[in-house]
Amino acid sequence: MNNMDTIIVSPIGDIPPWMSDTIAKDAGKFFGFNARVEKVLDDIFFAYDATRNQYHSTIILEKLAKNAPDGCIKIIAVTKEDLFIPILTHVYGEAQLGGKACIISIARLVAGLEVEIADKGCKRIVKEAIHELGHTFDLRHCEDEMCIMHYCRRLDDVDRKSSQFCRYCNIFLADNIRDLCG
Amino acid sequence: MEQTRILVVDDELIIRESLAGWLKRDGYHVSSVSSGEKALETLKINSFDILLLDIQMDGISGMDVLTHVKENYPDIDVIMITAFGSIPSAVQAMKSHAFDYLLKPFDPDELGVLIQKLIDHRGRIKENLFLKEEYEQKTRFESMIGQSMPMQEIFNLIEDVKDTDTTVLITGETGTGKGLAAKAIHSNSRAANGPFVSVNCGAIPKHIMESELFGHQKGAFTDAKETRKGRLEVASGGTLFLDEIGEISMRMQIDLLQVLEDKIFYKVGGTQPISADFRVIAATNASLEQAIKNRTFREDLYYRLNVITFTMPTLRERKEDIPLLAEHFLVKTTQEINRGVERISRDAMDELMLYEWPGNVRELSNAIERAVVVCKTGTITPLDLPIVKTLEDELKKKYFSLTDVEKHHITKILDETSWNITKSSAILGIDRSTLYNKIKRYGLKDYRDK
Repeated sequence: MNNMDTIIVSPIGDIPPWMSDTIAKDAGKFFGFNARVEKVLDDIFFAYDATRNQYHSTIILEKLAKNAPDGCIKIIAVTKEDLFIPILTHVYGEAQLGGKACIISIARLVAGLEVEIADKGCKRIVKEAIHELGHTFDLRHCEDEMCIMHYCRRLDDVDRKSSQFCRYCNIFLADNIRDLCG
Repeated sequence: MEQTRILVVDDELIIRESLAGWLKRDGYHVSSVSSGEKALETLKINSFDILLLDIQMDGISGMDVLTHVKENYPDIDVIMITAFGSIPSAVQAMKSHAFDYLLKPFDPDELGVLIQKLIDHRGRIKENLFLKEEYEQKTRFESMIGQSMPMQEIFNLIEDVKDTDTTVLITGETGTGKGLAAKAIHSNSRAANGPFVSVNCGAIPKHIMESELFGHQKGAFTDAKETRKGRLEVASGGTLFLDEIGEISMRMQIDLLQVLEDKIFYKVGGTQPISADFRVIAATNASLEQAIKNRTFREDLYYRLNVITFTMPTLRERKEDIPLLAEHFLVKTTQEINRGVERISRDAMDELMLYEWPGNVRELSNAIERAVVVCKTGTITPLDLPIVKTLEDELKKKYFSLTDVEKHHITKILDETSWNITKSSAILGIDRSTLYNKIKRYGLKDYRDK
């Protein structure tokens, strides 16, 4: 593995530093790359849709991938804003499948929770961050309800699923990282 | 790999892209097109399980596509996508056998639940077909027939591998007799007295595959009322034949590789290791090398299976076997359905020899079976064969109707004038409104640079 291959965690707006740090620490551990926090986008107004009062995540991903620093293998943005893709009412996050960039919104993940103190909210955020990063490593949604790559329809399901890849996703991830790094 | 194939049909690029991206992350194989016309063209070339179809599109509407799909591709399920104002059309679509409809923009849960419901529904249909096929296979036995050089080479290869326990991979087009070759290897091997257990990886629904192969412990899942042996365990001391191995899911490929490497496996929900004491023969009509490139088949499993490989010849490559095979199928069918058809005429045999047989020996078998059923005398003639084109078929192929000629000619002129309506109507000698009417009636579209 190249030492230059780093996962960047990029907070957008007012994201508590401990949140970005926790995601970076866990992302490094899960994927076996260096990881660090670095602000890449100052704001995401360019993706704002006034009629929906939400932000179009696909547009953010394009800019994020384009502005990713040298040596960045994957980049994940974290925002408090509510995200959407045109056909759906909302998304918790979005990723470029097998690509460079992904994003999560904490808006719905921590709804009703005290962000600064809620351990539950933190676990949800990390799980969804690893989930979206998993997509950038070309992993699809997993049918195993306990696997971190399982697509959760409700927040209860996010809380219930584990913080680990199942054995199948572990093998697929190892295959994909091997292909990626040659 | 068994992967649900979805075609998204919507004239809005942003909708197509966001929907396709979302579904791909869910693990589906997704294609998208921008119009009803393109959807119909795509369906001619590729096969799909589900269509996500926008109701309101320019040109051929979603409703027209739905009607066409239900008439020509009844196995495809259609979910209509509709805007708030067109709910009556969605209701009409349900009457025309759409599976369901979604009002855009839809909640991600709603989309996921609906597609899963549809896949479960399709799984149950496939399960019924699988059980029927299983029954039919059990009631049928055929031996390998052939005097041609390619078949002699196959017999020699079977002879060579019979005394080994080596894994064999049999390739070849559909209908070439890969299953018969596998059975022949088993019947001539040291394990001939053991069971020959066949698994059609393409026919067994994904959700029951694990339990079918590995068996399950009582209580392992909701429907596991009793502990049950899987096919791997049933094959103990014999041969496990994995037909259509290219269709097996990526997850199951991992499990299978582990069994082949460790020689042990576990029942679903079980903790007791079971020894894998069987020979494996796998077969495929797909190119596994291409599947590896497409990342739908694992390279490590391929090398584990591909110890000895041989390719079954097509019927085109062994035409000299056709008379022998045809006579064999004639005798077999007349005995089965008790019909007094005794021979195949020389003309009919000539037709059998001339035909290319894309479906190979299986197609020949079906053709003879049909001929025996429709034959009015004791001799099969060319007219009894489904492969012989009637005069009417030939005429349709050779000559066009006036409507076809007009449509073709108008299209040609429009293309040559770069869809300049004034110029085209002048060349055709009709006024512009008549040309517009004809363009609409024939559904002609300007596809330049689109």
